[in-house]
Amino acid sequence: MKKSKILININKINEVDDYKKIGYTNFLFAVAYFSIGYASFELEDIPNDAYVLLNRVMDTDAIDKLKKCKEQFKRFRGIIFEDLGVYNIFKDEGIELIWFQNHFATNYNSINYYLDHGCDSGVISNELASDEIKDILDMAHKPLVFNVLGKNNIMYSRRTLLSNYNRYMILDDYNDVTLDTGKDKLFVRENEHGTMIFYDEYFNHIGFTSEIDDDKIKFYLVMNLDLEASEIDAVINGKQFGGRGFLDKKTVYKLSDY
Amino acid sequence: MEKIELLAPAGTKEKMEFAFLYGADAVYFGGKDFSLRANAKNFSLEEMKEAVEYAHERGKRVYVTVNIVFHNEDLDGLVEYLKYLSSIHVDAIISSDISVFDLIKKNDIDLELHVSTQASILNYEAALFYKNLGATRVVLARECSKEDIKRIKKETGLEIECFMHGAMCTSISGRCVLSNYCTNRDSNRGGCAQICRWTFDYLKDGQKINDKVFSMTPKDLNMIPFIKDMIDCGVNSFKIEGRMRSIYYVSTVILIYRRLIDKILSNTLTDEYSKYALNILNRVANRESTPQFFDKLPGVDEQYYLGRDEVSNQDFLGLVLDYTDGIATIEQRNYFKIGDTVQFFGPTMETFDYVVDNIMDCEENSIEIARHPQMIIKIKIARELHKFDMMRLKVFDI
Repeated sequence: MKKSKILININKINEVDDYKKIGYTNFLFAVAYFSIGYASFELEDIPNDAYVLLNRVMDTDAIDKLKKCKEQFKRFRGIIFEDLGVYNIFKDEGIELIWFQNHFATNYNSINYYLDHGCDSGVISNELASDEIKDILDMAHKPLVFNVLGKNNIMYSRRTLLSNYNRYMILDDYNDVTLDTGKDKLFVRENEHGTMIFYDEYFNHIGFTSEIDDDKIKFYLVMNLDLEASEIDAVINGKQFGGRGFLDKKTVYKLSDY
Repeated sequence: MEKIELLAPAGTKEKMEFAFLYGADAVYFGGKDFSLRANAKNFSLEEMKEAVEYAHERGKRVYVTVNIVFHNEDLDGLVEYLKYLSSIHVDAIISSDISVFDLIKKNDIDLELHVSTQASILNYEAALFYKNLGATRVVLARECSKEDIKRIKKETGLEIECFMHGAMCTSISGRCVLSNYCTNRDSNRGGCAQICRWTFDYLKDGQKINDKVFSMTPKDLNMIPFIKDMIDCGVNSFKIEGRMRSIYYVSTVILIYRRLIDKILSNTLTDEYSKYALNILNRVANRESTPQFFDKLPGVDEQYYLGRDEVSNQDFLGLVLDYTDGIATIEQRNYFKIGDTVQFFGPTMETFDYVVDNIMDCEENSIEIARHPQMIIKIKIARELHKFDMMRLKVFDI
């Protein structure tokens, strides 16, 4: 896996230098107000050669605000987006667009629709088994973005779930908390636009990348929440860490399948 | 003013029939495949054809959900299925996966397209995206505010469908795979295990920070206070959630909303009726309900915090099968006895109270108690009843 094909989200602005020193060159910045769940940055603080993440499901105010500042996005390498309103605004603007509608990029036909209609790539969903991923890569009309390391974002609510609970229970303003089911742990982060829940165990698909054709990949995506650059580098270089997610198991959905 | 549609869930043909009888203008249901609520009974191909014929004979409409998020393997047979739905003249399909829209266009299939709430549409640009794909209606995300709805209608001119009653997801619909991770059941293909209704320990930096459990369960949605505002915003179709609910639930909820909408349109709605309607709706769902996102972001009062807060009841006492010469034949659904105060309600009459003063078994022998589920009993009653009226425990004054 070439470092030139790894795209890493940034949590602190000074991380960029740390990553550059060890050979990484592609960075993703979540944009304040237009994103949720990840550390975010004001547009003026984001370097020109970065990709930007707009992963908020936009309401009317957000979409109006985005249209007003649309010109400011043209200096970036590209936009990775969740809401199809973003696609509608930028589809004819000549900026690279990467479709990242979480949990929806689960079949090659849907992915190809976006690739054939102005998107430069798409991020494959994470709830897929290895065979499903390989089939998608084989059938896709353009190279895709594949998640290799991170905590899976598994629920996005517009409710401020933590604030509501803290207020009801008369607790401090806890954020970045963990929910424990007894079997699974979930990491929860809230901002003024809602709440995002992550599966607390990191997934690590780096070993799996040896099974897929590198030419079919535009970027290997790292969505980091709390690891240092050196720790990310160690995992990319083979350190045992995290789990294999759904690579080895298909989800079921009918009672007869349980 | 555009026509206002009351849209009901129909998990089975029987529920569809009751929904129409009690005032729905249209129903939605899923087939055996390609539909969320994978574990509902759902409709076979032949049942769908019969349902469409049944609806159209009565001037009603049928929408079929094709609303899973498809995996590669699910695409097999999809085109044939869509062609079948077209051939039996369903009035529209409801979908969120772009593959469905794409395959309909590529194969020139004659089907009207409604965008499912699973597509999480909260803004007009997203709605325009689907309009450009041929959609005629959008089912908006339940998270839409009044301003979002108004603006989407104004900028797109699309038909607007909004949920007005029923259970809520904690997440934005479609943006949740908790089930996948906690149970390996695929929520976006109909396997949702409702993890958002579980309770959790609440930890910060590995330490429990509250002895009480964490819960994120929302109360149900009801839009009683805002139906008029929704009509004024341009909402065309008012949707009830609950394909897996009983005929009693569907009939009760549809009848209440039918009367609310009609009273609003005829300017005869009173505060007293609104309060009564809210009581009935909360009682039938076993959960409290609130308007949620329409006028504000939900806060402390729109959730439950200590796990499920549901109390089941046995309010549904009987289904009227016949009324002849002052005698009602009733199929018992829950225990009742002489002396109980009950209510009869139905689509063609005003709800009324009745104190049970006689019960006969099917051979017309007097009995004191109707205790066996689905036993057939008879009651002498002067007030005229009709087939498929219902009898419930009286809990609230009319």
